[in-house]
Amino acid sequence: MTSTDSGLTSSLPWRDYGFAVGIAATTTALAFAIYPFFELTNLVMLYLLGTLAVATRGHRGPAALSSLLSVLCFDFFFVPPRFSFRVSDAQYIVTFAVMFTAAMIISHLTVRLRLKAEAARQGQLRTVMMHELTQQLTTARGADEILSAAACHIEEIFNSLVTAFVPNQAGNLVVKKSPEESGGLSEKARSVAQWVYESGQPAGLGTQALSVADALYVPLQGAGEPVGVLRIQPRLPERILASDQRLLLNSFAHQIGLALEVDRLRENAKKTELEIEAERLRSSLLSSVSHDFRTPLAAIVGSAGALLEKENLRDNHSVRELLENIQTEGERLSRLVQNLLEATRLESGAVRIRKELYPFEEVIGSALDRLGKLLTQRKVDVILPEDLPLVPVDGVLIEQVLINLLENAVRHTPPESRIEVSVRAEAGNVLVSVADEGPGLTEEEIGRVFDKFYHGRSSPGAGLGLAICRAIVLAHEGRIWAENRLGRGAVFCLTLPLGKQSE
Amino acid sequence: MRFLRSSLEETEWQVLEATTARLGLNLAASKKPDVIILDLGLPDQDGLEVLKGLRKWTSAPVIIVSARGQESDKIAGLDAGADDYLTKPFGINELMARLRVALRHAERSPGDTPPVYEHEGLKVDLVARRVWLRKKEIHLSPLQYDVLAVLVRNAGRVVSQRQLMKEVWGESREVTSEAVRIFVYQLRHKIELDPVRPRCLKTEPGVGYRLEAPND
Repeated sequence: MTSTDSGLTSSLPWRDYGFAVGIAATTTALAFAIYPFFELTNLVMLYLLGTLAVATRGHRGPAALSSLLSVLCFDFFFVPPRFSFRVSDAQYIVTFAVMFTAAMIISHLTVRLRLKAEAARQGQLRTVMMHELTQQLTTARGADEILSAAACHIEEIFNSLVTAFVPNQAGNLVVKKSPEESGGLSEKARSVAQWVYESGQPAGLGTQALSVADALYVPLQGAGEPVGVLRIQPRLPERILASDQRLLLNSFAHQIGLALEVDRLRENAKKTELEIEAERLRSSLLSSVSHDFRTPLAAIVGSAGALLEKENLRDNHSVRELLENIQTEGERLSRLVQNLLEATRLESGAVRIRKELYPFEEVIGSALDRLGKLLTQRKVDVILPEDLPLVPVDGVLIEQVLINLLENAVRHTPPESRIEVSVRAEAGNVLVSVADEGPGLTEEEIGRVFDKFYHGRSSPGAGLGLAICRAIVLAHEGRIWAENRLGRGAVFCLTLPLGKQSE
Repeated sequence: MRFLRSSLEETEWQVLEATTARLGLNLAASKKPDVIILDLGLPDQDGLEVLKGLRKWTSAPVIIVSARGQESDKIAGLDAGADDYLTKPFGINELMARLRVALRHAERSPGDTPPVYEHEGLKVDLVARRVWLRKKEIHLSPLQYDVLAVLVRNAGRVVSQRQLMKEVWGESREVTSEAVRIFVYQLRHKIELDPVRPRCLKTEPGVGYRLEAPND
């Protein structure tokens, strides 16, 4: 990046005076050379050219000197009587006047041209720098990055120390980025920054407010209220006062303000989205929980009430029925609570997987055992190859997965249908599938059946069982999915990595 | 626990309750119960500490009660001297079964194990060191037999992996838990008709193994 110090003067004025003298001498010498061959009028043109050469340097002084010298030399060396000044030479005053005017016009035009070119250059430079800053700002994420990039740019371009202030949660300004060189900030500096933030007006060097300060305070403003303040302490104070510098600085401040605003809006949007999602989960949990808890509870309380009321129930059959109802619903409730607790524990990351090498048959065996009477009326076939290697799993958790999958199959399929559990080793994984002969799954179910609280079309049960399965399988670095079988029914599959075998 | 008390008292059990460790220890010392049921989640003291304290002066059977997912607690309890465990929530049948087994083991003196175990077609003669499945004798390797013998001697009770390692392989020999599992797996294939649906040799994942108590 180039500094924006104005480079209007490309050379010192005295050099141009010397140049003027030199031109006069050179032109005279040239005139001497062509004197024998040309009219005096042509020699005047020569001098005119010389003066114009000086004028294009841009300084009026030397241009004036050059025109004077030109006329004098012309008069002295070439107008008869040569090598002298005469009164009759007064007519050459006109020549002088014309030459002088021409020289002045040219030098003036040159200066203006220069100024315009310089202004254009400055303008282009500003655009380039704005572009660079904007590039950096668009890729920066978060207020910290934005302010770092901004401070870096400003420090380099304006040769200053930059301190950035942003409001904290309470709305008070705090220093977000301070330059590496300086020490702490004075109380005065902080209060000035606060004033600038509140009023939206710049203060300090070169402004109308608090012009005695040693730094310039600029509010960072996007489309709305100020979002921060920049304190710019230039190493060379005079430089910052130039108007083009101020213009650039203001543009920078505006861009930075916009970037901060956008960033803040983005953060808010994200937060809102998260809140909405959390709210959605909460309310679905609430509705699911209240329904799934209230149903069995109502059944239990109701049955118990009925039993108590009709104390002298002759009909042992209904008594037994009511009691069985209490037990079944109680167990359902118990499973529900269990699942809810399990899901919560898994979510919070409190469960650490302890993998040990198990013969998978053992895990299946204990799962079948646990399910006990649920499966007594069902045909469950287990297909296990003899040479299945030991699988590194957390026995307790994977048993839970199998239990949930089997329960799910029993719950959703007709009592006469078969359930098949098959296991095989494949490509460094163990593939376990629980297949049923039930109605199968819809497209939507295939995608969402492992989601928390997803009930599907059938029975209640908090919809957590399969979600827990997924959490456990994922924690084992495996995969779990559901699909429809060829023919009829659904199959739930999971893979568990075999890892390195120690034997 | 009201339903437990009433069901237990209907059979021949007398129930003494204590809600804190301190009260419980006092009760155990003064009344000398036949079986102690210890909830690991007592309010005033860590259940394991209570267990260790009990074991200093009583060999009465202790059944620890804990929640699901606390397998490490159960193992620690078993290693610290508990005889068996129950997972909340448990039913009265489960409790009664555990109590029966605990009492039976307590009533015997250490050398006084019944010589023959019979359950669901499996017959083990500890004296002769012979095993039959459905009247057909089966052959076990020495280590497989030793594992089975430990389980038989503790029939009805859970045997932790650690206990198995200690009693079969001894303190000095290094054996990994997966090796033990493989032994149990092989044993199961020999003594069970359907190893996937064991009738006798059950696994309690995360805790250990249990050989079902013979039908009385």
